[in-house]
Amino acid sequence: MQQETYLDEFKNADKNAFTLRDATWIAFVLFGTLYAWIQYGSLMDGYEIGILIGTSLTVIWLGRFWKSMQGFTVLVSLVTMLALWTYHAHGNLITANEEAFFLRFLISSQSAIMWMNALFVLATFTYFLALYNKSSFTYKTARSMVWAASVFGTVGMMVRWRESYLINPEYGHIPVSTLYEVFILFVVMTAIMYLYYEQRYKTRALGGFVMLIISAAVGFILWYTFGKDAHVIQPLVPALKSYWMKIHVPANFVGYGAFSIAAMIGIAYLVTEKTLKKNPNSAFANRMPSLEVMDDVMYKTISLGFAFFTIATVLGAMWAAEAWGGYWSWDPKETWALIVWLNYAAWLHIRMSKGWRGTPMAWWAFIGLLITTFAFLGVNMFLSGLHSYGEL
Amino acid sequence: MTDLKTQINSQSSNKKVSPPVKKPGSFLGSMNLAVTLLVMLSIASVIGTVLKQGQAPQDYIVQFGPFWADVFNVLGLFNVYGAMWFVLVLIFLLISTSVCVYRNAPTFIKDMKQFSEKLSHTALKHQPNHISFVTQMPLEKQQNYASALLQHNGYKTKTYRREDGSVTVAGLKGSWNRLGYLFTHISIIIICLGALLDSNLLLKYRELTGNLQAETRAVSLDEIDQKSWLSADNLSFRGSINIPEGGDADILFLPYEEGFLVQQLPFKIVNKNFRVEYYDTGMPKSFESDLILIAPELDKPIEATIAVNHPLYYKNYAIYQSSFGDGGTELQLKIHALKSPRTTPLKLETTINRVEPLKTPDGKFNIELNDFKMHNIVPATEEQMAQTGKKMHNNGPTIIFKVRNEQGKAWEYENYIVPSMQEGRLFYMTGVRTLNSEPFRYMFIPADEKRSKERFFQFLALLNNPVESVEIFSRLYPKGENTTDESYQLQQNLLKQLLILFRAKGYEGIKHFIESSIPSEDQEKVTQYYFQQVSFALQTLYLEVLKREGVISGHDNDISDFNKRWFEDALRAISSLSQYGPPMYFEVENFTQIQSTGLQITKSPGKNIVYFGSAMLIIGVFFLFYVRQRRVWVHIKPNDKKANNYETTVAAKDNKNLPETKKEFDTFANKILMFNQQTFDKPATLD
Ligand code: HEM
Repeated sequence: MQQETYLDEFKNADKNAFTLRDATWIAFVLFGTLYAWIQYGSLMDGYEIGILIGTSLTVIWLGRFWKSMQGFTVLVSLVTMLALWTYHAHGNLITANEEAFFLRFLISSQSAIMWMNALFVLATFTYFLALYNKSSFTYKTARSMVWAASVFGTVGMMVRWRESYLINPEYGHIPVSTLYEVFILFVVMTAIMYLYYEQRYKTRALGGFVMLIISAAVGFILWYTFGKDAHVIQPLVPALKSYWMKIHVPANFVGYGAFSIAAMIGIAYLVTEKTLKKNPNSAFANRMPSLEVMDDVMYKTISLGFAFFTIATVLGAMWAAEAWGGYWSWDPKETWALIVWLNYAAWLHIRMSKGWRGTPMAWWAFIGLLITTFAFLGVNMFLSGLHSYGEL
Repeated sequence: MTDLKTQINSQSSNKKVSPPVKKPGSFLGSMNLAVTLLVMLSIASVIGTVLKQGQAPQDYIVQFGPFWADVFNVLGLFNVYGAMWFVLVLIFLLISTSVCVYRNAPTFIKDMKQFSEKLSHTALKHQPNHISFVTQMPLEKQQNYASALLQHNGYKTKTYRREDGSVTVAGLKGSWNRLGYLFTHISIIIICLGALLDSNLLLKYRELTGNLQAETRAVSLDEIDQKSWLSADNLSFRGSINIPEGGDADILFLPYEEGFLVQQLPFKIVNKNFRVEYYDTGMPKSFESDLILIAPELDKPIEATIAVNHPLYYKNYAIYQSSFGDGGTELQLKIHALKSPRTTPLKLETTINRVEPLKTPDGKFNIELNDFKMHNIVPATEEQMAQTGKKMHNNGPTIIFKVRNEQGKAWEYENYIVPSMQEGRLFYMTGVRTLNSEPFRYMFIPADEKRSKERFFQFLALLNNPVESVEIFSRLYPKGENTTDESYQLQQNLLKQLLILFRAKGYEGIKHFIESSIPSEDQEKVTQYYFQQVSFALQTLYLEVLKREGVISGHDNDISDFNKRWFEDALRAISSLSQYGPPMYFEVENFTQIQSTGLQITKSPGKNIVYFGSAMLIIGVFFLFYVRQRRVWVHIKPNDKKANNYETTVAAKDNKNLPETKKEFDTFANKILMFNQQTFDKPATLD
C-alpha cells in the first residue's frame, strides 16, 4: 500500500500555491495602474507608459516576494489618494497645504516628511532601548515606528510629485532630482531594505545601528530644510529632464542604502567582536545576533548593493551618452562611481575567492561607506564637473 | 523531531581546499594581481578627480611650485586618464581577466553539466556537509524517494548504479551561477574592447609615427596645418563646433593634448534657429536648435530639432545640444564722447566678435566686442521681490566689450541696454573693470522723464563747455552796480575753474585742490565758499538744460521732485566719471540678436559594444549572487553481510557555503531520515 503513496507528498504539494491573497494583490496593483493610466495617461508618452507598466510589474513581484510590501503599498496608496483628494477638494491650489487640516498637519509633502524625520529619530532611540531592556514589545514598537516613518516618507514623495504640478505644471517632476529629494529617497529605501533583512534573518538587535545612519541623514535633511530652504520645489534644469534619471537615481539609491546597511552591520560586528574578546560571556554580545549571521547579512547587503549599483552606473552611462554626448567622460561623479564599484568588486572577490570573513571584511565595509559617502556628497561639495545638481 | 535534529549531527566543516598547483599564467590570472589592479585603478581615478586635469602648465606651477609641478607632470598626473601607466593598468586588467576566463572557463563549463554522480563513497564523506546512517528501507524506495525529493526542490537528478549494487542519486541545481562568472568576466573584456575602439589610441599611434600633430595656435581655418586635419573616415571621434544662426559647418574641433585637431564631417549641418526658453523663475527651461543635415547620399536634407537629452542620430553619428553662445549679434552703437562739449555721438554699425579701431582726441583704441547677453538673471532685491513675488530678476540685455589702448591696457565694460529700477528710480547701469578677476564697478546713469539718457548727455556736454557756461552765468547774472569789473571777472573765472576741476575729478578733486593750495587756517572757509559756488554753478547749468528741454520756462520756476532727484543722481554719476577709463560711453541703439548653437558630434562605434557588455555584466552579476550552485548526493550502499540492510549517505556542497546551505542540508537529511524511519523504530546512526 505504501508503494503507491509514499511519493504523494510531492505530487500533491503544489510548488507555489497561488492563494486568494495573491489574486487580490495582483488585482489591487492592476487596478491602481489602470487608475493612474486613466487619470494621467493622456499626458504620458511611450516611455512613460513603459515605466508605468514596468513599475506595476515590479510592485506585483515585490509584494509576492515579500508579503509586508502589500500592506505597505496599500497604506501608501490610500493615504496618498487622501492627500490628492484633499488638494482636489480645495481647487487643486498649492495653498491648500496651509488651509486644509489634513494637509497642513499630516500629509502635505512637507508635513509627511517631518513626521518621517521625527519617527526615524524616535525609532533609533527605541531600538537601542529594546537592546537594553530586551523587551520584545519595545522591539515591536521600534519596528512599527520604522514602518510608519517609511509610509510617511513615501507618501511625502508621492504628494510632493503632485505638488510640483500644482505649483506650476511646467515645474512638475518626480521628486528624485535634487539633493533634498534624493536624501528622502535614501532614508526610505534604507529603512525598507533593513526591515526586510530584519524580518528575514531575525536581526532586530541591529536596528539601532542601522537607524543611526538614517538619523544622520535625517539630521542632514533638517539642516538642509531649515538652513538652506532646500525643500522648496524648483523646476528642473534641462539636463535633468530625462527618462534615464527616473530609473538611474532610484537604482543608485538601492545601492547606497544597501552599502550603508552593510557598513552599519560592520560596525555592530566590530563592537560585538571586541566585547566578546574582552568577555566571552558579555551580556551585550549575547543580545546581538551571532557573528556569523552579521557576516552573512553584510555579504548579502553588499551583493544586493553591488548588483543595483552596477545597473545604476550602466544607466548613468547611457544617460550621459544622451545628455553629454559620451557614455564615459571621466567626470568626477562618474569616476567616483567607478571607484565605489571597484571597491566593492574587490571586496566581493576577496570574500568569494579568498574566503576572507569577519573583522577585516567588517572594517572594509565601513571604509566602503566612507568612499560611497564621498561619491554621493563629497564630489558635489569639493569637485566641479558636469554633474550640476545638488550643490550645497 | 527535535531529537532528530541532534541525532543528525551533520558535520559541516569549512575545510580549506588545498591550493591549486601553479600553472603557467597563474600570476597574470591571479586574484592578487586582479585586486592590486583594481586598487591601482581606483587610486588613479582619485588623483584624476582631485587634481584638476588638463590645465595650463603655468597654473600648475603657481599651485605646486616648479619642482613638484615638474614631478607631477613627468608622472602624468595632469592627464591621468591618458597617461601611459594608466593605459598599462587597463591593459593588464584586460589580460588578467582574459587569462582568468581562459583558465577557468573549460572547468566551469564542464562543472555546469556534470552531476559528479560517480563520486566514491569516501569522496562523499569529504564533502562540506554529510551524514550516514543504517536503514532497512528497500533500495528502490529510497532511490525513488531521494529523486522525488530533490526534483521537488528544483534539482535535476541523475542516478548511477554501480557494479557492487550501490546506487547514487546526484542532484544539481543553479548551475547558472557558473554562467554568472563567465558573463561578468567576459563582459569586462567586451566593455574594455568597446571603450578602446572609442578611445584615441589610433590617433596616438598616428602621432607617434609622425603624421599627426595638434594645432596649438589660435589661427583661422585655412591657416591650420594639414597635419592637424582628420578625414571623414576617422574611426571614432568626439568634438564640438559652434554654428551661428543661419550659418553652417562641416567640421569639428577635437581637443587633443595641448591643442586641437580639425575633423572633417561627411555631412553639413545648418543651424536654422536656436532658442532658449525660460521658466517664470528666470531659470532656463530648454535649449533647442532647429538643424538641417545635408549629406550627398540624402535625397532630401533631414530637418530636426535637437535639445538637451534629445540628440539627433544619423547613421553612426550623434549630434548633441551641448552649449550656446553669441553668433555675431548685429549692433547699432552710439559712442558718446564723455569729455566733449558736443552732443552728437558717433554712430557705429558692428557685430559681436568683431574688433573695431577707433581714433579719438584721447588716442587710438581698439574696441573688442565680445558678447551679447539677452537676459541677465540675478537674485531679486527685496524691493523687486515685493513687486513681482519672484526670487529672480531679469535686468535685460547687455553687451560686453573691451576698450584697449595703444599700450595694450584694456578696460572691460558691461553695459545694460534697458534701465533698471533702483529705489524707485530708473538707471542705465554700466560696469567697468580692468582685471578679469575683479567684479565690475557700476556707474548709474539716471534716466530722464522720457526714460532716456538724452538729458544726461546734454547736461554733461554743457559741463564740458566752460566757455558757454560762463556765457550763461553772465547772461543770467550780469555785473551788479557795486561790483568792480575786476572782481566780476575773478568771480567768473573762479566758477569756470571750479567747473573744470569738478568735471575732471569730481567733488574730491575740489577738496584735494583746496588742501594742497590754500593755507590750512583758511581751508574751512574756502571750502565752504567753493562748494557753495560750484553747486550754484551746477544748479544754474542744470536749470538751463531743463529750460532748453522746455520743462521750465525760466530759472526761477519750481522744479519737480523727480527733477531734483535726477540732478543729485546725475552729479553722483558725473563725479565718478574719472574712474570710468577712456572717456567714451557705448550706447546700444538697436540690436538684432544672432545666437550660435554649440553642438557636440560623436562617432562612437564602440558604444553598442559597451552597452552589450554592460547588459551582460548586469545579467552575470545577478546569476553570480542570486543563483547558488548546489549539489546533493544520496548514496545507498547494500550491506554485503546482512540482507535488507543499507548504509545511506547524504552529502551536499554549495559553491558558496552560506548559512542557508547547512539549513537546507539539514532539512533534506531530516526528510530522508524520517522516511527511512517509517518502518523501523531505531535507525542506527553511523559516524
Ligand atoms: C573589474 C574587473 C575584474 C577583474 C580584473 C577580475 C579578475 C578576476 C580574477 C583574476 C579572478 C581569479 C580567477 C582565478 O582565481 O583563476 C577572478 C575571480 C572571480 N571574479 Fe573577477 N574580475 C573582475 C570583475 C568581476 C566582477 C564584476 C565580478 C562579479 C561580481 C567578478 C566575480 C568573480 C568571481 C565570483 C570570481 C571567483 C571565481 C571562482 O574561482 O569561483 N569579477 N576575477
